[in-house]
Amino acid sequence: MSTASPTRQYELVYIALPDTTEEGLAELHTQIVTVVDRFGGSVERTEAWGRRKLAYEIGRQREGVYVLEVLNGPGTMTAELDRRLRVTDTVMRHLIVRVDEELAMAERSKVRRKSLTVARRLRRGLPAEPTELEVARRKEHEEDDMDNGPDMGGFRDRDRGDRGDRDRERGDR
Amino acid sequence: MSDYESKGGGGRGGAKDKDKKDGDKGRRTFFRRKRVCKFCVEKIDYVNYKDVKLLMPYIPERGKIQPRRISGTCATHQRAVQTAIKRARQLALVPYVTD
Repeated sequence: MSTASPTRQYELVYIALPDTTEEGLAELHTQIVTVVDRFGGSVERTEAWGRRKLAYEIGRQREGVYVLEVLNGPGTMTAELDRRLRVTDTVMRHLIVRVDEELAMAERSKVRRKSLTVARRLRRGLPAEPTELEVARRKEHEEDDMDNGPDMGGFRDRDRGDRGDRDRERGDR
Repeated sequence: MSDYESKGGGGRGGAKDKDKKDGDKGRRTFFRRKRVCKFCVEKIDYVNYKDVKLLMPYIPERGKIQPRRISGTCATHQRAVQTAIKRARQLALVPYVTD
């Protein structure tokens, strides 16, 4: 094991006060970049989601300016970022999540599924990739499949609420 | 086992009761559609906590996380949904509670 901490990928989302100006946001960004640079990390991309309504009030605010930064760097970097963001008054809330493992896992299952599909198709004597005709036919099917609608097949209104307390007399069988 | 038999004539757990329950079940299955895990069907590998649209069906009006027995999500994906919702809550993307 090497002593240098490994580079990992993190996602940082922070919510700035709704009245933060463009310059204020730019300043926040440069602050983050400085910290990241100091730890030898890099900013992969930045996404500004802009003003959004909050799902609940945070310190009497109903709206917030969301910014997402995808960072590469060591774990010590996130500790420092966390500390700094907590004392920054213009940032109402922030969240740092390590994503490299999760994304790698998703990628792996994608690859595995793909190879399984190819193997299955070859066993049935079909070409490895679906032909154009198949793609068109599948699309047609999807259109008349109403089960995959936005309400998930309508399970929502079938919620019977939490189960009541278990009957004591019955014991376990 | 003997416990079960001794209660036979009582209000609960008797053979009669069992029959009634089966009938109940039959009636219920009539309405029930086969539930499938949305994430398995649509081949969603990564449950993104930033995707509010994806998570919203798993948060009923009250703001609680929809249990598996209702949504039909498989165990693996329910776990993923759970962490995603909890992250989204921290960022005020979805509510903790609504009343």
